[in-house]
Amino acid sequence: MQTTILLPLIIGLPFLGFVILGLFGRRIGEPASGWLASLLVLGSFLLGVNLLAGGGAKWAVADWLPGIPFSLLLDNLSGLMVMIVAGIGFLIHVYAIGYMHGDAGFSRFFSYFNFFIAAMLVLVLADSFPVMFIGWEGVGLASYLLIGFWYTDRVNTDSARKAFIVNRIGDLGFLLGMGLLWAAFGTLSISGLREKIEASTLIFQAIPLAAALLFIGAIGKSAQVPLMVWLPDAMAGPTPVSALIHAATMVTAGVYLLARASFLYVGVPDVSFWVTMVGMVTAIYGALCAFGQTDIKRIVAYSTLSQLGFMFVAAGVGAYWVAIFHVMTHAFFKALLFMSSGSVIHALGGEQDVRKMGGMWKYLPQTRWHGLIGALALGGLPLLSGFWSKDAILASSFEYSPLLWFIMLAVAFLTALYSMRWFVLVFLGEYRGKEHPHESPAVMTWPNHVLSIGALLAGFVGLPYVIQEKNVLEPWLNAAIRPPEAEHLAAGTEWILILASALVSLGGLYYGFRFFQQRVLPKWFTNFQTASLHSFYADNFYNTYIVNPLKAFADFLFGADNGLLRGFGGLGGLVGGIGGWLARLETGYLRFYVAGLLIAVVLLVGWGVLR
Amino acid sequence: MIWLITSALLFATGAYGALTRRTAILVFLSIELMLNAANLSLISFAKLTGSLDAQVVTLFVIAIAAAEVAVGLGLIVAIFRRRETTSVDDLRGLRG
Repeated sequence: MQTTILLPLIIGLPFLGFVILGLFGRRIGEPASGWLASLLVLGSFLLGVNLLAGGGAKWAVADWLPGIPFSLLLDNLSGLMVMIVAGIGFLIHVYAIGYMHGDAGFSRFFSYFNFFIAAMLVLVLADSFPVMFIGWEGVGLASYLLIGFWYTDRVNTDSARKAFIVNRIGDLGFLLGMGLLWAAFGTLSISGLREKIEASTLIFQAIPLAAALLFIGAIGKSAQVPLMVWLPDAMAGPTPVSALIHAATMVTAGVYLLARASFLYVGVPDVSFWVTMVGMVTAIYGALCAFGQTDIKRIVAYSTLSQLGFMFVAAGVGAYWVAIFHVMTHAFFKALLFMSSGSVIHALGGEQDVRKMGGMWKYLPQTRWHGLIGALALGGLPLLSGFWSKDAILASSFEYSPLLWFIMLAVAFLTALYSMRWFVLVFLGEYRGKEHPHESPAVMTWPNHVLSIGALLAGFVGLPYVIQEKNVLEPWLNAAIRPPEAEHLAAGTEWILILASALVSLGGLYYGFRFFQQRVLPKWFTNFQTASLHSFYADNFYNTYIVNPLKAFADFLFGADNGLLRGFGGLGGLVGGIGGWLARLETGYLRFYVAGLLIAVVLLVGWGVLR
Repeated sequence: MIWLITSALLFATGAYGALTRRTAILVFLSIELMLNAANLSLISFAKLTGSLDAQVVTLFVIAIAAAEVAVGLGLIVAIFRRRETTSVDDLRGLRG
């Protein structure tokens, strides 16, 4: 562990890109600004890998705030996240050069994109909660700017605002949690807190509440139930944004927070139980909602929701390395899914409705393989990356409770079904639209080739122990996380679990493949689909019971304010009236004034004499 | 004492005249009456107290009143030249 100025440079490179492109982007012009942004992100990726290979690094500003260091830490956990953020971020940057081709805001887009990468790197490299919070808010801002990137459209800006406001609720939890930790421990340095808590045998009273409040922050950022409503609408942004921010990196910040602060959660099983429950409910909800969507990106968005639920389940049951493992594999296959969706949208000239797609297998000879690999990895086809990480989650949830395992297995089955629905609706059958589909340029397909390799092979770093005694990822990550001591399941049980999850995903994929190719779907399914399309009316519920009452209250307050102002206006009118009445004394007759003068003199002198 | 009563009567006459007359000249004349009533009362008080101070003030008042009459009559002549009337009821140009 070395102290080096190179560590903040990892953040500095994309931030430099943000500044340069923000100031001179128009002059740099179309392809150059995209390549500049991409290369800067590649630079910080290489720098991060280099430092990580040297055993990690740390860096701190000497005196920032008393007791709160501005400190960065690159250990194995944040190192993996840096590789995901900058590595996959680089691929998506390159992809976006093709996707955003010809857009009026081309350089503005890359300036925002670099800003996002910088903020996300601040978030993952932070070694104190306030620094993490800076990154946390930074990615929220970037998300807001990019969802509303095409700001001339009302829907996009509304979605951006929604994402921002819903995230505020979570951020409040994060802030309160920080405040509580500060009050209890007098430091917000993560490594400092960890030393204090691990050194003590006592359970601090503040920890359960602080852990729960930080978890609320994670709920907001990772779009868990009940704050999940913003993520599907966030798809209003350009597709690379969905791939980078709302699938691969930003939404996993909540999972990262749980893993980073795992020392808080291991001592409080009650809070961890709620983490598990929230994750489970989100996994079920996301999976069910994915069935009814007609927008190609919203299908993938709900699958992201569901997969984030899986990660929270893993974090809740104490398997933090598994959660991060799933973050990694998910980053590969979900970015791939989004970018193949983007290629399809690109091929069809902006069409996003799956009902007007189909038959793309014929037209898109490269994207079809990307879509297939992405869907199979999401569905958990054995040996692909999604299978291994999902199997690890299932195994650790079995250790927690067999019932939880069964529920998550059912959700894995649903996952396989809806990933096949996505694939069948987009790529198989007859083309139902009127465009002339064309394959994307090389700058868009090459990043997808790389991601496909990742989606195929990334799972092999985290094999179950029955196959490989010590896999690559678990001890490597646990060096940074230090989880509670967990016993391995018996080898026989482990094999049965692997077989069960393999069978379930194969069955789901096969059944989904057949089911969604039917010409007429059964009646019960179409009914279910209608409810699912409206996300089971979660938005309507929120609007009726939270948003509209709040709006009514705000209107009431506004009316009261108006009334108050009108009251002051009335006071002015009163003075004006009195003045007008008094003005009638000004007759203009000289003798009237003189009489007044005399009467006053007589009265005053009389008063003076008689007093 | 009789002089004080005379002065009060003179002042009241002047005030009555200033209130009831319409012609600017007569209003002015009434004002002069009130002024001289004040002079008279000053001298009466001087005689009662045996001090010369008030008599000196009276001399000053007479001197300044002469100047004031010049200015006042000048104004009235100027107004008459302009409007061909000296009725104070017609002079309402400064009404708010």
